[in-house]
Amino acid sequence: MDRSGQKLWRPPRACDDYWSEFRHCKSLWNRFHHYYTHGTSPSCQQWKEDYRNCREWEKRKSTEAKEALQRSERNRVAEQTKFTPVWKLRQYPPRDWNMPLNQDKPQDS
Amino acid sequence: MDHTKQEGEYGYELFPHRNMGKNKQGSIAEGQFTFNHKCQIMLQFAMETSYMDLNLTSLSSQHSKLFKDRHFSCEDCDGTVSGGFDASSSQIVLCQNNIRQQSHMNRVVTHELVHAFDHCRADVDWFNNLRHLACSEIRAANLSGDCSFSTEAARFNFGLKQHHQDCVRGRAIRSILAVRKIGQEEAEKIVNEVFNTCFNDHAPFGRIPHSKKDANFAYRDYENRDRYYSNL
Repeated sequence: MDRSGQKLWRPPRACDDYWSEFRHCKSLWNRFHHYYTHGTSPSCQQWKEDYRNCREWEKRKSTEAKEALQRSERNRVAEQTKFTPVWKLRQYPPRDWNMPLNQDKPQDS
Repeated sequence: MDHTKQEGEYGYELFPHRNMGKNKQGSIAEGQFTFNHKCQIMLQFAMETSYMDLNLTSLSSQHSKLFKDRHFSCEDCDGTVSGGFDASSSQIVLCQNNIRQQSHMNRVVTHELVHAFDHCRADVDWFNNLRHLACSEIRAANLSGDCSFSTEAARFNFGLKQHHQDCVRGRAIRSILAVRKIGQEEAEKIVNEVFNTCFNDHAPFGRIPHSKKDANFAYRDYENRDRYYSNL
């Protein structure tokens, strides 16, 4: 799958998205929210690095840039999924999601 | 399902109209009409905010499309509770007598949508597994804006460094105590056990949406998901 996909590979996000994430990360509001939530300053350098690699890929199709970008994004995914979930994910949605509501439920009066 | 057990042990007494039959639309009681009408209007506005886009779209992608008339119910509730998610009927309950402002409605709808989302994507045992309940409550408090700086400040809870987490912990414990007959210590223990996992589970947003910009970026990521995962 990798070999045939190589010609068609493109960065996981549009380059402008990396830049806007970087700007958003550095903004005063975001830094405030981050401190309020985590007690630390956010680290935004990775977004800038990703933007640089994205542009590098666009200009020169550099393999290094591509691999760096992939590594960075895979890290992000790993960060989001590194905790063991408390529940099991479903294969199918709940069967009764759209079932009509019961008008008469059995009552103990 | 054993309804006597349900009413006594699962917090259904907070929602006295849940089992009284759903034919309330034809009621001519004036107070009922005013509160109910206002609730419906605020709900409509809430569903049109950008925070909701991602919630609603991601639910649809789980093959659990949300219909306002089927999945939302404006009712009178006891005490100060603002809303709930009734897993047995797949409905989000909004307490028309306790929600007075649009911003409150927005938060409650987002909060309950997180529960609905968890219900649709995972095998959540709402009634028998307290860890599952705690996890969903942590996520809902975390992702709905319940614990934002301004919301907390309005409650006169002024905190800064990492206060968000204290708030999420506290509100999750309160939510559990409201619907289950267990002690404070047991509730705290359960919340602490699952806190790390559940606080860091930001689905479907991918981040904690503190602002409209966060919400818009989260929606952008969602729309881009096919490109994202196929190019990792």
